[in-house]
Amino acid sequence: MAAHASVLLMALEDFLSAPEAQRPDARARLLAALRAALADGCWEEAALTLRRALVPTLDYTTAQSLYRVYRQLRPQLPDPGVPLKLALLSNVTSDPLAQFLELFLFANGVAVELYRSDYGLLRQEILDPDSGLYAFRPRILFLATTWRDLSEAPPVSADAATVQARVEAEVAGWAQLWRLAHERLGCQVVQNNFDAPPWRALANHETRHPAGFGRFVAAVNASLADAAPPYVTLHDLDHLASTAGRWAWHEARFFYHAKLPCAPECLVDYAHSAASVIAAHLGLARKCLVLDLDNTLWGGVIGDDGLGGIRLGQGEAEAEAFVAFQHYVKALRQRGVLLAVCSKNEEATARAVFEQHPAMVLRLDDIACFVANWQDKATNLRQIARQLNIGLNSLVFVDDNPAERALVRQLAPEVAVPELPADPSGYIRALECHRFFQTTSLAGEDLRRTEFYRANAAREQAEASATNVAEFLQSLRMVARVEPVHEATLERTAQLIARSNQFNLTTRRYSAAEVLAMARSPHWITRTISLTDRFGDNGLISVLLACIEGDTLRLDTWLMSCRVLKRGVEELLLNHIQALARARGLRRIVGEYIPTAKNAMVREHYARLGFCLIETNGAGHAWWELAVTPDWTPRTTYIREVHGDG
Amino acid sequence: MDELRTQVQEVFREVFADPEIRLHDQMTADDIDGWDSLMHINLIVALEKHFGIRMATAEIARLKEDGQNIGTLLQLVAGKLPRA
Repeated sequence: MAAHASVLLMALEDFLSAPEAQRPDARARLLAALRAALADGCWEEAALTLRRALVPTLDYTTAQSLYRVYRQLRPQLPDPGVPLKLALLSNVTSDPLAQFLELFLFANGVAVELYRSDYGLLRQEILDPDSGLYAFRPRILFLATTWRDLSEAPPVSADAATVQARVEAEVAGWAQLWRLAHERLGCQVVQNNFDAPPWRALANHETRHPAGFGRFVAAVNASLADAAPPYVTLHDLDHLASTAGRWAWHEARFFYHAKLPCAPECLVDYAHSAASVIAAHLGLARKCLVLDLDNTLWGGVIGDDGLGGIRLGQGEAEAEAFVAFQHYVKALRQRGVLLAVCSKNEEATARAVFEQHPAMVLRLDDIACFVANWQDKATNLRQIARQLNIGLNSLVFVDDNPAERALVRQLAPEVAVPELPADPSGYIRALECHRFFQTTSLAGEDLRRTEFYRANAAREQAEASATNVAEFLQSLRMVARVEPVHEATLERTAQLIARSNQFNLTTRRYSAAEVLAMARSPHWITRTISLTDRFGDNGLISVLLACIEGDTLRLDTWLMSCRVLKRGVEELLLNHIQALARARGLRRIVGEYIPTAKNAMVREHYARLGFCLIETNGAGHAWWELAVTPDWTPRTTYIREVHGDG
Repeated sequence: MDELRTQVQEVFREVFADPEIRLHDQMTADDIDGWDSLMHINLIVALEKHFGIRMATAEIARLKEDGQNIGTLLQLVAGKLPRA
């Protein structure tokens, strides 16, 4: 067993880092090592290696070979991943796409149960209420459309008004399918936008002439994005075509032969992209980018070269490449990706660069957690995950040093460690191609996340200076807004439901579509809590979904962001629930706890709140009860509660 | 031609996941398990990648037609390789 593990690890390292010329050999060795591990029944080791070998730059044939390894492996794995019922509808041949989707979802920790329509039946499957699609009941429906599915393209003689009407008709046709599928299934819909071909009848005039086909495709894509409700996610196929190169993407021999939607080699990246979007819906996107410093953020070694000696800034080519990489990283930070530093340096020396170097784009206040010391990096990454209160599997580690990368891959396999080229001008692409930080929506919270984490550090200091907890909590001057889920909070609510793992009593993942249905249902009570205090706005940090069943209020989902632990939010919500249940004449409140690998911190949540255990099953799923009585004494909190618009 | 046959055989073994495949000139698509239209695409893609060649649309179709066999496939590939 151990022998397999080390052979696999070495084969994987070679496979990931081999230069172009040695790639076929490295690929053959990796496949041989995987097959040998399978032959000896070393399933877990093979699965771990396979997951990490699944990079978006695989060639088609290797992806096929790895898919066969996966098929052999999957039935043997005790825990193949988060289960997902996925339906894939398309009007072209979807077999290889489906295989690669399954493969990349496996890499993301998802075990797919897949439904596919017969070729050419995309619309019929949705329109016919008796189709296999509705019997299958997917949680996510993927409409794998291509530009050939456009049905309203105008003739070149059409005037602007006609073209506009055609665009609207095209979008209305798709929106009608979304609505039907959503009404009947309550599922999330993922649909490709349209991949404009490279050939243009109007040549350069194509985008200016109202009825140019290229212009029509662009207009439809823009209108689809505007028309899509929260339960629809648009997968940007047109962008994939452009990054692949449109002539390469639209290489049509295999469309004529087998009705493949794009060139076979492009299918790998297509599936990777779609899988990353689907995985993000399941809360499996990464959250934090951990950066090495020397030769990663700047050229040279700060400890040796000093502030004046490192290469960063305008005027020298490589120094400019480092600046560009910092700009890229900064943009990720600004949209909600957490940044951390993990560097072998004296901390003061490392910090000085951020504080004093004039060309630094990243500043200390961009960094949520700064670790510079001489410990091994795997240990430091664990430390970073702990400090930020996120899982090791939320981290992406970027380091120019192949030895550090190999060490982290070996000692902290949950961390994603992309290969970096020796040339810093390739860093952005090397990181971007993995789509680690895929997001399905952008809520106000994302834009302020680093602030939240930094404000937490300030709160921790205030806590240290207060003499007791009550005094500290009072000093925070907290205000909580408690309200039902509504349009403006739906996306953030769905995002929290998808992402929360630790303070999450049942870890039931509901899509935006499902939450919306609950918010509109008379049988469900939905509440969100947004919290502010004197250090700033924490944003929307807690979600409750409760179902009225007879005289019982069943707490189906209760979750909270870990950044507001021990502030009294749970007690506040309990007081709110009691009052609400009483007002509705209910007799009891039942809370559930379903254990997962990550939510041990809330195992005693209901006990702490005074519930009594009424039932457990063998899997640890527990039901807790609290009577609803008029003489119930509310819990003490130091949070002022406001409602709705107040 | 023997060197070419060995290389093509390696590609077949990988694509059809069968390390036992031995190619003879007279073999046809019917002699290899699982050689359906999708595996045909997989095979063409793998051959093109391995040899750095490109099959024309008609050639891709012809390979599965009557009268075609491994022998004619080898000739087709050989004709596309740069002359040594």
